[in-house]
Amino acid sequence: MNSEMEVGSKKFTDKNRCRELAMSSSFCRRIYTEVEEVGWEHLVKLGEDLTFIRFRIMDNTRRTHILEITLDKSYPRSPPSVSADVPYISHLEWSSSSKLRDVVQQFQKHVDKLQDFWLTLDDIDRSFWVIDPKHSHHAVSYRQIKIGHDCCIVLSVNVDDPRSLPECRFLGSDTEVNILRDIWKQNCKKWTREKSCPENLLHIFGNQLPQPSHLQKNEEQVECGICYAQYLPTDDELGAKSGTATDYSCENGNCNRAFHSVCLCDWLFSITTTRQSFDVLFGNCPYCSDPVAVKLSMKK
Amino acid sequence: MTSDSASSRKALSKIASNRLQKELVEWQVNPPAGFKHIPTDNLKRWVIEVNGAPGTLYAGEMYQLQVDFPEHYPMEAPQVIFVPPAPLHPHIYSNGHICLDILYDSWSPAMTVSSICISILSMLSSSPAKQRPADNDRYVKNCKNGRSPKETRWWFHDDKV
Repeated sequence: MNSEMEVGSKKFTDKNRCRELAMSSSFCRRIYTEVEEVGWEHLVKLGEDLTFIRFRIMDNTRRTHILEITLDKSYPRSPPSVSADVPYISHLEWSSSSKLRDVVQQFQKHVDKLQDFWLTLDDIDRSFWVIDPKHSHHAVSYRQIKIGHDCCIVLSVNVDDPRSLPECRFLGSDTEVNILRDIWKQNCKKWTREKSCPENLLHIFGNQLPQPSHLQKNEEQVECGICYAQYLPTDDELGAKSGTATDYSCENGNCNRAFHSVCLCDWLFSITTTRQSFDVLFGNCPYCSDPVAVKLSMKK
Repeated sequence: MTSDSASSRKALSKIASNRLQKELVEWQVNPPAGFKHIPTDNLKRWVIEVNGAPGTLYAGEMYQLQVDFPEHYPMEAPQVIFVPPAPLHPHIYSNGHICLDILYDSWSPAMTVSSICISILSMLSSSPAKQRPADNDRYVKNCKNGRSPKETRWWFHDDKV
């Protein structure tokens, strides 16, 4: 409202407010009716002024999607804006007679079209050791797959043509990456739409790809940051601790290094800055320098 | 060449030799640029070739590092020296001893032979002038009979090089 209107007659402002109220009440009526048409069971959230609506939509493979709709006050003259956890949103077809139900229907059609894309990604997640993304979002179209000791492949699946040859990037040491890149260049012609993505990848790399982490023991995570072994050796000096696994890890969430308490204590004993109180040693993590407190372990 | 100090004459502990084997494998898979490990049967003493980085005062020059591991590596730092002739550098003595904190007080088991090598190369690369430390003659005379640099009480005063 501009200032000229405010200094105008009281009558004018009243009339204006009435019109606004009338408009907003018709706006509300309209939204409630349209939400009802979509079905209240789909509604997750409705903004206080009804301009923000969140629906939960299930697609034909029972994957759930959250559809967020933001309405302009001039709705339905201007189309709503839509966002969702999908790789892209198709253009919304909108006319003066369109309703929220049409938005939902168009979205449903769109996600049904993307089924093949998500199935391809699910196949990859089931078959390989995917290290990124850790939690898959429906919108993400790449997978970083661990291959070999310190090497990864990043596959970007074509959203509209998921059975086509994906874009492939390699991460890791030059020597390993060059070998993989050569294999890829030579064998990518073998890629075929008739086979699933994992089958194609196995065909190209020849059964070298490690399985998902929950199917194999993740040994790298539990190696001691000091002696580099998962299990202590069998040794007279180590007594009862012989052959035991790592039993301490740095509490700094970004570090999380695992250690044998025996190794960590040995290290802390060898430097002068360590303090001891009863049977606990106080020092710093050799990796992140955050404070650590380790109980002295009985070796015998 | 220096003789071994008393502690390093002992055989490696099981923990030390396990860890060194893993470091060696990792080195072979992923060697630090500019370095070459000369293969020997002796896990306790590594000899490593260093090539001066291109575009630095030491470009095109080649030196040898000798790395001796103590019985309780990695609880203790390895002894790292240049096999004479050592590069001319304000922190490197003519007998090959290197004044670098991570080899002594600032050692941590989170470091590796590879990370030490990278530090040494970066120390060489950042040198402003090819010269010996000011106290070179006095220090080298005191080190007669092959004293280990680990027995020296180092005074680290220069962060620039």
